[in-house]
Amino acid sequence: MKLRNLGVLGGIAALTLTACGSSATPVPTTGAAATTGPAATTGPAAGSIAVKIGIELPMTGGEAPNGVPTANGVALALAKIQVPGFTVTINQQDDAVNGVHSATQGATNIGTLVNDASVLFVVGPYNSSVAQAEIPVSNAAGLMQCSPANTNPGLTKTWGGVDPKTLRPTNPDKIAYVRVATTDDLQGAAGADIAYNLQGKKTAYVLDDTQTYGKGIADVFETQFKALGGTVLGHDSPPSTTSDFTSEVTTISGKKPDYVYYGGVTTSGLGLFRKQMAQQNMASTDFGGGDGINDGSAATASSFLQIAGDAGDPNTFSTVAATHDIPGLDAFNSAYKAMFNTDPGSYSAAAYACTQVFLQALKSVGTGVTDLAALRSAVRAYVATPSNSYDTQLGTLSFDANGDTSQKVISYYGFDATSKDWKFIKQRDFTQQPLGQ
Amino acid sequence: MTAEATALSGPRFPVARLRGPLILLLVILASYAVIAFGAGEQAPAQFINAVTIGALYALIALGYTMVYGIIELINFAHGEIFMCGSFVSWSVITTMGITGAITDIPRLVIVLVVVFLISMLVMGVVGVIIERFAYRRLRNAPRLAPLITAIGVSFILQNIISVGISNSVVTIPQLIPNTKLDFGVFSISVINVFVIALALALMVALHLFITQTRLGTAMRSTAMDREAAQLMGVNINTTIAITFFIGSALAGAAGVVQGLYIGVTVFNIGFNYGLKAFTAAVLGGIGNTTGAVLGGFVIGFLEVISQVYGYANWSEAVVFGALVAVLIFRPTGILGQQLADRA
Repeated sequence: MKLRNLGVLGGIAALTLTACGSSATPVPTTGAAATTGPAATTGPAAGSIAVKIGIELPMTGGEAPNGVPTANGVALALAKIQVPGFTVTINQQDDAVNGVHSATQGATNIGTLVNDASVLFVVGPYNSSVAQAEIPVSNAAGLMQCSPANTNPGLTKTWGGVDPKTLRPTNPDKIAYVRVATTDDLQGAAGADIAYNLQGKKTAYVLDDTQTYGKGIADVFETQFKALGGTVLGHDSPPSTTSDFTSEVTTISGKKPDYVYYGGVTTSGLGLFRKQMAQQNMASTDFGGGDGINDGSAATASSFLQIAGDAGDPNTFSTVAATHDIPGLDAFNSAYKAMFNTDPGSYSAAAYACTQVFLQALKSVGTGVTDLAALRSAVRAYVATPSNSYDTQLGTLSFDANGDTSQKVISYYGFDATSKDWKFIKQRDFTQQPLGQ
Repeated sequence: MTAEATALSGPRFPVARLRGPLILLLVILASYAVIAFGAGEQAPAQFINAVTIGALYALIALGYTMVYGIIELINFAHGEIFMCGSFVSWSVITTMGITGAITDIPRLVIVLVVVFLISMLVMGVVGVIIERFAYRRLRNAPRLAPLITAIGVSFILQNIISVGISNSVVTIPQLIPNTKLDFGVFSISVINVFVIALALALMVALHLFITQTRLGTAMRSTAMDREAAQLMGVNINTTIAITFFIGSALAGAAGVVQGLYIGVTVFNIGFNYGLKAFTAAVLGGIGNTTGAVLGGFVIGFLEVISQVYGYANWSEAVVFGALVAVLIFRPTGILGQQLADRA
């Protein structure tokens, strides 16, 4: 009896240990296009100061198509650019919990990065809801964050009547957050541009996934679509945990809209929604979303296009809050492909640009400085200064006093049936061509 | 365990025996009326949506209720058994090399039979193994111990799937083609017809098994009074193992249905579905199989009704609010026995 007890206990212990042991190193999803996270570089060269750049992105589960290519952009930049006197390595954090981005995990990760004295700069986060939790922490610590992909306007500007200074109560005037992605007041307008002008649709049904990013961009779409002259038949907010949209789709199909716009991210179930639209005879109804669904081709594991499936893909559109026609696009694509064996993601170049911002700041303020705390605050002060401009992979850009980028370009993408991937349609520079012209 | 036990002493017209199905019929009619009022011409389609998802919840709820009825344990790992069932169906379908709907009817039938049999068998065996190693020793322990063990088992299963197979959304090829059957006033997809018919068939088969067979009688007697059943010669261990087998097999079938109807699965859907199915079981009267079916359909209707009236983002609050309301006014659930009846 006792021996059997021990045997059972041992069996369970072994099972638990293998499960725990293998889950200790989260590996991104399997699939043709997935890659492993950025590899650590070798130790510091003699005489140089070892510093780190933090990466705070959702890396595992359904978020892997978002986070991994973005993190790879940072690794590529570090491999290509060196700052004399410094050896830069990566401190990688993952804010995905059970495969979905988590704001609380993000805030914890920023705390971890703050406590690592050699981390001078953070690239991330990816999701606006996570940024809302992180900005107060990084602001209090004076650790500069550069987001390659956050688009909710409220993170840097007054939005919905809320002052962004409420996000940085400790140091309201010393910003520790900038972003190279432009904001959803433009991306939502771009969505409306696609629906009304590009596709010529006059009626739309709007949905959002109740999260910061999704709700923000859907609201802007609705306002802009109406401003262009369209009619919005309804605006629903299915919870992001919805696992079955059949009754929602049935309701929408009864209203017969020409265009369905869904503000949200793939992990909130948008791929399943599009698939169920197709199952209920709405495959030919146009579907649009923001950068939350532009996360890889139909071959990328757990991307929007893969989940939506063949019947759900046609006439689907998305936008990306970044320039597509970057200077040296082909060179960047081939350098990325050479290092990671796959095509870059929507925000790989943006993450590369964030890293370039950091390296330029480090080069400018780092000469002769050895104290890590002093380096961190000097980097923050440099990046927070609006008069500085950066020559990056995205082109020349600078940040305004709020931390927003000077580039106001949105790229438009549509589904291409031959390559089963997002195909670039065009980009619109909203400084030169605001909506309504 | 069920109202059937009192049928022998009831009035000549077996109202007591039919109480469960009558209430179910009432709920269905009332729900249709509510949906029709809110959805207008979409009502038939929405009604079908509600019945289909309700059938799925009912299949999972049956497992919860059977296990609770027999050993008074809320098997929190049951939602994960449903999730594992969907992954088993995924691996069977991909191993067979199928990538989409099958239009050739004989081949479709064969593939469906194979997928269902394998999923139900595998999950049944997994259920028996879990009972044998995690719950049997704790049968006489204070109630908290097996409860926490069940939660632990659910995490173990989630971890095994997320590390062993995938920690992101997995698409399952939907075997049944999405042909619509047009009846003029409404049209229904063949998939919906199949899901509802299958769920009803399984529920009826379970009911017949429990009421008409010796093993079913053994299960009912063990649920009523374990010691007395033992004295009557019922092998308690085998009976409980069979209960777990059947409950887990039904969850496995529900997992296959998830793949057929919705077409995606993730390692953590077990939590959400399990919670709703548990709510359904409690709502209908935990320990009562007709109650589990009733509860499943009630949850399905509540979800669709809240969506139809524009309160989609309140659907979870509505579902659990209904649970709280039912428990306040009728603590044993809609069809549950009054506590005083149990000696």
